[in-house]
Amino acid sequence: MANSAFADTRWIARGVERTSLTRFVFWLAPWAVLLGVGVYAAGLCLYYGLNQTNMDNRFAFGLWIFLDLGIIALGAGAFFTGFLVYIMKRAELKPILNSAVVVGFICYSGAVAILVLDVGQPLRAWFTFWHPNPHSMLTEVTFCITCYLLVLGLEYLPILLRNRQLRKLPSFLVFEHQLHKLVPVLAGVGTLLSFFHQGSLGGLYGVLRGRPFAFRGGFLIWPSTFFLFILSAIASGPSFLMLVTAATEKLTGRRLVPQEVLRRLGFISGVLLAIYVAAKSVDTLVWLNITLPRLEVAPWLFYIHKPFGVPLVFTEMVILGLLPAFLLTYRRSAARRGWLLGGAALACAGVLLNRFRLTVQTLALPTLAFDEFLHYMPSWQEVASFGAVVAYGVIIYSLSYRYLPLFAPPKGEDTHVSGD
Amino acid sequence: MKLTRRDLLVWSAGATAGLIVTPVPWKLLDDVSIWTQNWKWIPQPTRGPVEVKQSFCTLCPKGCGMRVRMAAGWPVGVSGVSSNPINRGALCPLGFGAHQLNWHPQRLRAVRHRATTSSWGEARAAFAKASGEGPIVIVDGQPGRAASSVFQAFVQKRGGSYRVVPGAENQALAPYENWSGVPASTLGYDLENAQTMVSFGAPLLDGWVTPGRFTRLWAERAAGMAEPQLRLIQVESPLSRTAARAWRWVPVPDGAEAALAAGLARVLLDERLVPAHGPVPSLTLADAAAQTGLGINAIQDLARTIVSRPPVVAIANDQNPAIAALNVVLGAVGVRGGIVTRSRHTLSAQSVQAVRAAPSHVSYVSTGADIISARAVLIDSTVPWDFTPPTDAEVFHFAAWDGGSSKVDWLLPAPGFLEELTDVPTAPASAIDTYAVAPALAKAPPEGQGAAQFLVGIDPHLIPAEKIIHTRCEGLFRERVGTVHGQEATPVTTLASVQQLEERLWEGAVWVNDPPRSGDFRCELSEWPKTAGPVPPVNRLPTWLAPVLPPLASKLYQESGLRESPEGENGRKA
Amino acid sequence: MSTRYGMVIDLDRCTGCGACMVACAAENNVPAIPQATARTGLTPMLVRKVSNGVEGGARREAFIPIMCMHCEHETPCVSVCPQQAVEVDKATGIVMQMPQRCLGCRYCMTACPYHARYFNWWDPSWPAGMEKSLNPGVAVRMRGVVEKCNMCHARLHSAEEKAAAAGKREIDPADYVPACVEACPTAAIRFGDLADQHDPVFREAHSADTFRLLSLLGTEPKIYYQSKEAWVRALADPDSGAHLEVEHG
Repeated sequence: MANSAFADTRWIARGVERTSLTRFVFWLAPWAVLLGVGVYAAGLCLYYGLNQTNMDNRFAFGLWIFLDLGIIALGAGAFFTGFLVYIMKRAELKPILNSAVVVGFICYSGAVAILVLDVGQPLRAWFTFWHPNPHSMLTEVTFCITCYLLVLGLEYLPILLRNRQLRKLPSFLVFEHQLHKLVPVLAGVGTLLSFFHQGSLGGLYGVLRGRPFAFRGGFLIWPSTFFLFILSAIASGPSFLMLVTAATEKLTGRRLVPQEVLRRLGFISGVLLAIYVAAKSVDTLVWLNITLPRLEVAPWLFYIHKPFGVPLVFTEMVILGLLPAFLLTYRRSAARRGWLLGGAALACAGVLLNRFRLTVQTLALPTLAFDEFLHYMPSWQEVASFGAVVAYGVIIYSLSYRYLPLFAPPKGEDTHVSGD
Repeated sequence: MKLTRRDLLVWSAGATAGLIVTPVPWKLLDDVSIWTQNWKWIPQPTRGPVEVKQSFCTLCPKGCGMRVRMAAGWPVGVSGVSSNPINRGALCPLGFGAHQLNWHPQRLRAVRHRATTSSWGEARAAFAKASGEGPIVIVDGQPGRAASSVFQAFVQKRGGSYRVVPGAENQALAPYENWSGVPASTLGYDLENAQTMVSFGAPLLDGWVTPGRFTRLWAERAAGMAEPQLRLIQVESPLSRTAARAWRWVPVPDGAEAALAAGLARVLLDERLVPAHGPVPSLTLADAAAQTGLGINAIQDLARTIVSRPPVVAIANDQNPAIAALNVVLGAVGVRGGIVTRSRHTLSAQSVQAVRAAPSHVSYVSTGADIISARAVLIDSTVPWDFTPPTDAEVFHFAAWDGGSSKVDWLLPAPGFLEELTDVPTAPASAIDTYAVAPALAKAPPEGQGAAQFLVGIDPHLIPAEKIIHTRCEGLFRERVGTVHGQEATPVTTLASVQQLEERLWEGAVWVNDPPRSGDFRCELSEWPKTAGPVPPVNRLPTWLAPVLPPLASKLYQESGLRESPEGENGRKA
Repeated sequence: MSTRYGMVIDLDRCTGCGACMVACAAENNVPAIPQATARTGLTPMLVRKVSNGVEGGARREAFIPIMCMHCEHETPCVSVCPQQAVEVDKATGIVMQMPQRCLGCRYCMTACPYHARYFNWWDPSWPAGMEKSLNPGVAVRMRGVVEKCNMCHARLHSAEEKAAAAGKREIDPADYVPACVEACPTAAIRFGDLADQHDPVFREAHSADTFRLLSLLGTEPKIYYQSKEAWVRALADPDSGAHLEVEHG
C-alpha cells in the first residue's frame, strides 16, 4: 500500500505494485551505509595512497584485481544474453534481457571504479589511450572495457528512459525509440568487445612467462587462458543472472520471469560449464606435460602449500564445475528450483574460485629458487571498497527494479507469489 | 525567442563536438598529468654547479677517504677514493648515506641545560667555573686528533685527566700491551703480509678495521679460489658473514674460543710444530676437545693446517688473552705478517703525536677514581652515545645528534658530518703510520661548536686545532720520511715546501710512513693466561660513533631482511 | 655501434655487507619511508641471503645481489606495460622505466619473476632540509608509480655530456660506473659492455661457473652471476624440489 505522505507512485509504472517507500528506504539504508563506509575507505586510498591497502611489492595485485576479474566474469551474462536474443534469435530469453543489461552495467561500472582506485595515479588513466602498447593484454582490456561500458550505458539508457515520468518528455521518448533500433547493433558490438576483453583478462595471466604457474601456451598470440576465460565467463554469466533474478523474486515475493527462462539459462550455463571443464582439463594436461617440462619446472611444487593444494583444484573442477554442470543440465534436477539455483550458485562460486586462484596463488608462489611462499590478507580499506561495489550494485538494481520496467509482467499470469 | 529543450540538446551536442576539436580538453588532460609529475610536496634536489671534493669520513676512527659530490655547496653524494691506500676506495654501508646525516630529525641545534634551552655563553661560563673549582675529566672517542691535543693541553693547565674510549680493534690488542709495555694503540696487524689468519669471531669481512683494507686484500688473494694465497679460518658460531666466505669455518660455541686457542697451542707445542717452547696451557687437549665440541683429531688437524702456510696470525674479537697467548706460541708477535708495532724510532716526539692513536701515558676509560671524584666531565662528540660516566659530576656532553633519553646536565650541539676541519690519525690496527687532514665541506650551522673550539673559547691561550694541524704538517715535512698518496704517490723528500705537503693533504691525500722495521717488539709470557669465564664480545656498532644511523640504513635493517636491526632484534617482516 | 651494458657478479666475493644497497638508494634519491617494511620498501638493489638448506657444520650461506636483470629477450615487463612506460633502450640495452608515464597499474611487477620492481606506496619524503642532499641528476618520483634499477642512467648521461663537451663521440668507460659497482668493497660487481668482445665482462660472462637466474625462462638477463660453489649455481633455477622442505601452514 502506498504511503500517501511520501509517495513516489508517480515514478512507478502503472499497473505495477511496489512496496511502500518507507520500506524501500529501510531496505536501502544498510546498503547505503556500506556504500558510505566503502566510499570513505576509497577516499582514504585516493588521498593517502595505496599504502592504505595490504598490497605490497610481492602482492602487487590483491583483492581488488580478484574482484575485477570475478565481477566481469559474472557480468558476462549481459553480453551473452544479448547475443543469444539478438544474434541467435532465442526470443524466450527476452524477459530477462533488461535485468541482464542492468546487472552488466553494475558489474562493469563497479569494475571500472575499482580499477581507477587500484592504480597508483588515477589521473593518468588516459595514458593507455594515448600511448597504447599493442603487445599488452592490459591495453586491450582497458580499451574494450571502456568501450563496452559505453555500450552498456547506451543499452541501459533506453530502460532508464522508459521510466514513467521520463517517458513523458517527448524528446526522451523519441530518443529512446531511436536507441531501441540500435540495440541489435549494440548487442553485436558488445559481443565482439566482450569476447576480447573476457579473453584478455585471461590473457593477462597466460602471457606471464615469468610465472610458470599462470603461463600457458596457446594459439598465435593468445594463450589458452584467453579462451578458457571466455568459456568460463559465458558459463557463469547466465548463472549469475539466474541468481540475481531469483533473489529479486524472493525479496519481492513475485514471480518475475517464467520458470522456463531460468531453466533455459541454467541449461545453457550447464552445457557451457561442461565444455569449459573439459577444455580446462585438456589445457591442464598440456600445461603439465608440455609447457612446464620445457621450462624444467616441477608442477607438484605449485601445490605443496596449504590451502592451495590439489584438493582446491579438485574443488574447482569437480565440486564447482562438473557438479553444477550436471545439476543445471540434468532434467530432473533442473526441474526443481532449489537444485537449479544451487547449481547456479556452485557455478558462480567455481568461476570465482578460478579467478581467485589465478590472482592470488600466482603471486603467492615462489619464482626464484630462494623465494618463500607468501601470504596476503586484504586491509579493511580494501574490503570496504569491495563492499561499496556490492552495495552500489544492490542499490542500482533495487532502484532499477522499483522505477524501471526490468521485468515486463507476463500477460494473464498472477505475479503474486506471496502477500506483500 | 523561447529556448526549448530541443535547442538545449542541439547546442550541447554542438558544443561538445566543437570542444573536442579545440585544444582545450587535450591541454587540460596534459596539464593534469604534468601536475601529477610535479606535486608541490615532492621535494626537488638542489640546483647548482656540481663540484667534486675530497675529504675524510670522521664518523668513526677508521678514517676512510671520501670523494664528495657537492651541489650548491651541499654534499649530495659520497664515494670512496680508489687511490687512497687506507680504504682503497671502499666505504662502509653506513658511510654511503652519511651525507644525509646532518639533516637527521634528531640533529641537535641548540644548547640544552637539563630540560631547558640555554646558550653557548652560559655553557662556557658554567664549564669555566667548574674547571676552576675542581678537576675535570675529558673523555675522547677518537684520540690522536689535533682536537685531542687541545683536550690534553686543557687538563694539563687546569687540572684533571684525559681519558680515551678505545675501539673494538684496540681492545683486542690490549693483552699485548700488558705483556710488552708497548701501548696497544701503537700496535697493528700486518695483514698485508699474512698468509694464514685464524679469526676468533672477529668480523674480518664485515666491519673490522678500515673498510676496503682487508676486504680488497681478501678479494684479490682468496675469494672463490680453491687454493687461496690468503687462508682465512673463521672460528665462530653461528655462521656469520665472514664465516660464510672463509676458507675454513670452525664452528665453536660462544665462550669456547679460549679453550680452542689453548688446545691449538698444546698441539703446536707437543708436536713441535713451532720453534717456541711455551707458554704451555693448563687445559688438556681432551678438555679442549670437549669444551669446543670438536674432536681431538680435528684440533690436531687444525693446528697442522694453521702452520702449513706461514706467516700466520690469530685475531681476537675481544680482550681474550688466550688468543694473544696463541700468537706468542705461534711466534706471530713482532714479525712480518703478525702483530707489529708501528715504527717509533724514525719520528720525532711531535710527529709521534701526529700519528699516534694515543700517547703512551693515557689509559682507557674505566670506573676510575678520577671520574667519580671529578668536578665536571666533558664528553666529546666522538664518544659513543651510551657511555654514561659513573659520576655525580656536572656532565658536558658534545653531540651532533640526540641519541635519546640523555640524563646529562649540558647537551651541546657539535658540528656534524664534514662540518669541521679535523685531522685523521692512524686507523686502528693499522700496520703503518698514516696522517691525513679532513677539511670541512658542508656549511656548518651557526649553533654548532666542537669541544676543542669550546675549550679555546674558555682559555684563549690554548693553541687551536687548526694551528696544531699546521704544526703537525710542518713536523712531517721536516722529518723527510714517508710518501704522500694523492692522485699519484709523491715521496716527501721530493716536496719543496710545507705548503706543497699541506696543499696535497687539504685535497684529500694521505701521508703514509715508510714501512716499519720488524723485530723491535717482543712479548714476555711465561704462563698461559687464566681466563675467568667467557669474555663478552665487543659490540661492533660503537665504531660508528654517531648516536643515529643514516636514514638510508633502513634499506639494510627495515626495508629488507639483510641485516638484523642494530638493537639485535630481527627487523625482518615478511 | 650499440652497447649492451651488463654485469657479472662474483658471489664468492659478495659478503652481504649491503654497501651497494645504500649507495644505490643514495644515488637514485630513493626515500627511506619510516613505515616501510621488507615487503613494501624501495630497494632497487637488494641483497638476498641464501643457504644450502642444511643446519649445523655443513651449512653454507651466500649473498645474491638482485636488481633489474635488464632482460634482453621478450622482456616480461616491456611487453605488458599498457602505456609503454618501459622500454629496452636500443643504444645501450638498458631497460628504461619512465616514472612520469607510469600509471601505477603494477602489471609489470606481476610479470617480473625476479621481483626487481618496486612501487611507491607512499609519497617520498625526507626530513626538513634533507632534500638539499639529494642527487641533482636524478628526478624524484611521486607516489603511485613503479621504479627499478636503471643502471644509474644519470651517470651515463653525465659521461655522455662530458664526452660531448670534449668533442668525443664515445664515452670514457671510467666515467660511467654505476653506484653499486663503485661501492662494492670486494669488487664483486663488474660492469661492462657485453657486446664488446674485448671487454673483460664479456669474457667473464662466458666463462665456466657463470650462470643467470631463471635462465630457463628465456628472458636473457644481462646480469650474470659467478660462483665456484655448485650449490650456489644450482640456485639459478628452481630445482625439482628434491631438497625442498615442505612448507608448513
